[in-house]
Amino acid sequence: MAEFVWLIVVIPLIGFLINGLLGLSSEGYRKQKSVIGWLATFAVFVPFLIAFQIFLEMNAGSEPVVVRLFTWIEAGSFTSDIAYRVDQLSILMALVVTGVGTLIHIYSMGYMKTDEGFYKFFAYLNLFIFAMLNLVMANNLLLLFLGWEGVGVCSYLLIGFWYKDMEKATAANKAFIYNRVGDFAFLVAMFLVFRTVGSLDFDVIFSNLHLFNGDIAFWVAVLMFIGATGKSAQIPLFVWLPDAMAGPTPVSALIHAATMVTSGIYLITRFSGLYMTSPEAMLLVAVIGGLTAIVAATIALTQYDIKKVLAYSTVSQLGFMFLALGSGGFVAAMFHVVTHAFFKACLFLGSGSVIHAMHHVEHELEHEGKHVHFDPQDMRNMGGLKEYMPSTYKTFLISTFAIAGIPVFSGFFSKDEILAYLFNAGLGEFGAVYYALWGLAVLTAFLTAFYMFRLTLTTFHGTFKLPGKFKGAENAAKYLHESPASMTAPLWILAALALVGGFMGVPEFFVTTFTSTDATVNWLYAWLSGVTVRAAIILPYGVKWTLVAIAIVVAVGATILAYRMYDNDKGEATDAAIRERFGSLYATWEDKYKFDEAYEAMIIRPGNRLADRVLAVFDVKILDGFVNAIGSIVQFFGSLLRFVQTGVINTYAIAFVVGVILIIGLLIF
Amino acid sequence: MEIINDLLLFLPATIVAIGGLTVMMLDGYKARSRTIYTTTMVFLGIALGVASWDLLMQAPELIFSDMAGAGGTAAFGTFIVVFGTFFTVILTHDYLIGVKHNFPQVYPLLMFCTFGMIVLATANDLVTVFVGLETMSVCLYALAGIIRDKRLGVESALKYFVMGAFSTGFFLYGITLLYGATGSTSLPEIGAYTDGGLIYWGGVSLLLVAFMFKVSAVPFHMWTPDVYTGSPTTITAYMSTAGKTASFVALVLILDRAMPFIATELTATFSIIALLTMILGNAVAMVQDNVKRMLAYSSIAHVGYLFVGLAAGSVAGYSAVLFYLLAYTFMNVGAFGVVAYYEKNHDVHFNNVESYAGLGYQRPIMGVLLSIFLFSLAGIPISAGFNAKYLVFSAGIEAGLVSLVVVGVLASAASAYYYLRVMVYLYFREGKESVSLIEPKKVYSFSLVFLALLTLYFGVVPGGVTEMIYGYFSDSMLTATAP
Amino acid sequence: METFFFVFVATFALGTALAMVLSKNTVNSALFLILHMLSVSGFYLSLNAQFLAVIQILVYAGAIMVLFLFVIMVLNMDEDEQIVTKVDFKQIFAVLVTVIVLAQLLYIVGNFTGALPDFSQQELMAIGTVEAIGDEMFTTFLLPFEATAILLTAAVVGAMLLAQKNVNVEDEIE
Repeated sequence: MAEFVWLIVVIPLIGFLINGLLGLSSEGYRKQKSVIGWLATFAVFVPFLIAFQIFLEMNAGSEPVVVRLFTWIEAGSFTSDIAYRVDQLSILMALVVTGVGTLIHIYSMGYMKTDEGFYKFFAYLNLFIFAMLNLVMANNLLLLFLGWEGVGVCSYLLIGFWYKDMEKATAANKAFIYNRVGDFAFLVAMFLVFRTVGSLDFDVIFSNLHLFNGDIAFWVAVLMFIGATGKSAQIPLFVWLPDAMAGPTPVSALIHAATMVTSGIYLITRFSGLYMTSPEAMLLVAVIGGLTAIVAATIALTQYDIKKVLAYSTVSQLGFMFLALGSGGFVAAMFHVVTHAFFKACLFLGSGSVIHAMHHVEHELEHEGKHVHFDPQDMRNMGGLKEYMPSTYKTFLISTFAIAGIPVFSGFFSKDEILAYLFNAGLGEFGAVYYALWGLAVLTAFLTAFYMFRLTLTTFHGTFKLPGKFKGAENAAKYLHESPASMTAPLWILAALALVGGFMGVPEFFVTTFTSTDATVNWLYAWLSGVTVRAAIILPYGVKWTLVAIAIVVAVGATILAYRMYDNDKGEATDAAIRERFGSLYATWEDKYKFDEAYEAMIIRPGNRLADRVLAVFDVKILDGFVNAIGSIVQFFGSLLRFVQTGVINTYAIAFVVGVILIIGLLIF
Repeated sequence: MEIINDLLLFLPATIVAIGGLTVMMLDGYKARSRTIYTTTMVFLGIALGVASWDLLMQAPELIFSDMAGAGGTAAFGTFIVVFGTFFTVILTHDYLIGVKHNFPQVYPLLMFCTFGMIVLATANDLVTVFVGLETMSVCLYALAGIIRDKRLGVESALKYFVMGAFSTGFFLYGITLLYGATGSTSLPEIGAYTDGGLIYWGGVSLLLVAFMFKVSAVPFHMWTPDVYTGSPTTITAYMSTAGKTASFVALVLILDRAMPFIATELTATFSIIALLTMILGNAVAMVQDNVKRMLAYSSIAHVGYLFVGLAAGSVAGYSAVLFYLLAYTFMNVGAFGVVAYYEKNHDVHFNNVESYAGLGYQRPIMGVLLSIFLFSLAGIPISAGFNAKYLVFSAGIEAGLVSLVVVGVLASAASAYYYLRVMVYLYFREGKESVSLIEPKKVYSFSLVFLALLTLYFGVVPGGVTEMIYGYFSDSMLTATAP
Repeated sequence: METFFFVFVATFALGTALAMVLSKNTVNSALFLILHMLSVSGFYLSLNAQFLAVIQILVYAGAIMVLFLFVIMVLNMDEDEQIVTKVDFKQIFAVLVTVIVLAQLLYIVGNFTGALPDFSQQELMAIGTVEAIGDEMFTTFLLPFEATAILLTAAVVGAMLLAQKNVNVEDEIE
């Protein structure tokens, strides 16, 4: 079955082509929304089935299968194929992408039902799945890069989907440009790899890892990591992700939570062998991850936009994954990628369901003749929604438990694994730093549980606040309703996965402590052992159990604290109190540490100034001024003289002669 | 007879020359402009057919007492030039009628120009190079000035002429010095000469200066924005693709055949030029509001990337340059073609990026095409432009020019900004007033679709072509010395 | 004798060239250019290129410069319209770079050490004849020679295009 792996990649492309081309050319087809929606969904679901079948045929010891389609670029010693790699890591990612992708496609059919660009939306989604699958299934760096750029383009298209809104178009541009900065570093890393081993094929690279001596390994690792900071939204390039929430909510769930943003983690896991040879690069990864985690968590604490909270929480969780990578826990990072895909997709879709309902309220009030304008994403307008939207509430709550790390929910296992690796890394080189990072991570875990319950409680508990806040919205509550089944069904599936997903990676010491024999309860660990290198955990049982206990205490403590402070409509008062207590620190969080402002002041404004003052003056004064000075056409020769007088063509000639001097000087001396 | 054989091997150029003369005579007998256009297309079509055949079948050979070559790089250059001209004429005809400047003399001039380009791209002797270069340039000077009710047109023609004449002086002096040093004008014979005296280096520098002027590398670029903006849009496409290709192919040939032993010594010079060109081209393109002017500056930037390939001074570098030229021809003719279409619908001043607002939805096909071309120009994967850049940069890395390539990659990342900006206006902005676009002619849109398909095709499977180009240099002296 | 002739012709060529550039009257400039062409043909003579010397005079001095003069007369240029106006920074800079590039070229040429092929007087005489040039033109240099024909035709067509009366083209509606 593995030889049919190319079908997994090609089918979403076909879906994109059919929906895109038919939609573009036929007015009638655009109206067939259910046809379009189901076609797009099956274009993802069928690859999921194929991937699942391949997955069933594999076991933890299977050798990687490489399927070569055709030679892509061939130039002398350099060749690059369109080739896909089936191994434990790529099939795992493919399952997540197509599985979560299918659910989000189904959800989108409900969410985007009334949108004019329905066909375009689904075409883009399929294109994204195609690019993402190329990224995770590629057998060489160049094809991986193709997918890498492809997901960037799709993300750009989808963030700017409602392009008529100026702010959204800007957000799309911002995302694209920040990503390009990262891509550039990745490209250079790729060149260095090629220069070192003479090929971009994974097989060749991995069997020649010894060629990367210290410095090269460090630089390749760092450059790849910079690439990852762009795509996976880490400091200093994370600012695009919160703005990217301007896109439709299913897009936020699929691209900006579950799949695309984890591609940086995938990339580093792929190259785990390389990273393990460079402790300095690992340290950098861990430090950046840790800082991002805490910075994003503190910002999330202050946000009121329901999607913004989730966005910062995503950035923070991605930071967690990089912490795991940096401490050698590559499997732990992948574990968190998977569980995070479940609960964060569920949370985003749940928030989409809420926003959908709030929009509906606004719409109905409008219908009634009352023009009430409020922000449908502001959680201060919500409250008490659990009465009206029970399915959304229950699934949202389950996912919140998962992300908070409450025992037996999936997030508990994956987060616990990361903390264990961090603490373990404290025993090795740069130990002190890793202990500090562990402390930071525990603090972040506390904050995570706290702000997530703040969100859930403010949104779903208490009383519905909209009627009290806006004139004319007194009877708004009667328009609140649960979303259709096409939206709640995916929510339930994802919530179920968020609940039980953790059991794929139960730590082995949970069992071995009591049985004192080798146990293989950690399925994920065994599954990925062939394709990743990782640090060994050498902590004694006692320490391991203590770490688990600390994690539980922190998570449960934060939950209880949040419950006391935010339940029963105490939300805004609590926030005011916190603001008072933390003073300027809180203001810093609220201002998002002024990252955007700093970039504005450091890069964008000087750049514009340079362009305006120097280059534009050059252009205006010299070139355009010249245009104005030209005489009429009749005086052909007359204007020739005037050229000479205005001196502009002289300028050209002078530049030319300076060039001549330069060239002669370079070549004869 | 030998001469017949030579002419057969030189058939594309011969056909184009005869075609040019025929069309000129037709104009003399006051033929309708439609007839002139059709005749031009017939001759170009035959020439394109022959050029394709040569490209695929003809083995490298020297003709006309070693003055020129056939097959190999010569066939490659000829093909791109004739291909570019073929589509330029289709677009130009439509465009010039649209802007009411359809002079009949344009067609013979385009043919003569193409002839000059072919001579240039196939040359094996500096004398041939010179004659080809001048034939091409004289025609381009005149073509730049077609639109005369716009002041820019005359201005650009005149400036181009004066600066061109200036550079010709340097070129001739360079040839003279090289002849003085080596006693020959033939490329292989100059190449056999290894003792680099001062005269030799003087000749090399002046020769390179002249070429840098023709391909508009910084600091010899200053004519480019004016000329590219002032010329009719489709002629600009022609200058920047076919014209640049011919000059670059000749330059690569000169480097490969006449200067193989000094390739490493030229690296520093080319690197500096590449650096300046990439930085200035991209930086200035970024602040342009006029799309045509933006494309003009961006074409300077592309020259910078091409010089990275030259700086590599290796077979990989030279073949990357040739592939780049092929890719650039597809995407740039295409991009200018769409720009010309928008312009034709209104007036020649319709070039400001703001006037593109919302146009992407008016004629979706044109918007999509422009997006494809711009993506390719920006070097986004699955486009020919990405592969071209990739090959050039990897050749640079192989030659150890890491920092130069880093700047190149950064510059090309920055270039995404101004290409995307056009797309932002096309799709993400509402048009201020309702601008209506007339439906493009079938042949016009088919040509553009064809170019877009080629752009994508060479983005997905460039393998065959790159291998073929690589083969051209199999007998290169560089391969013997390469590590 | 040869040296004396060279120095004389060279001084004359330089002098007329300078006079042409510096002269304020365009007609005078053109006349100086004719003198300059004549002196260049003197170089050809001293190099035994008799044919080229004659052609130089016939084509440049005879045909091209006469055309030039016609153009100047027809345009009736104002004598006050001076080419050199005032000295500014740019001009100083221009002079500076020119001097530098001149110095570089002189340095290059001055360091000439290579040996040019050594021909006897008889051989040199033979190379310069019409017959020898014609022979080369139609055998070795056939391609560039024929291409030049296209070049000149193109120049004529180009001139026609640019000289054409303004925008008066039939608009074919198809």
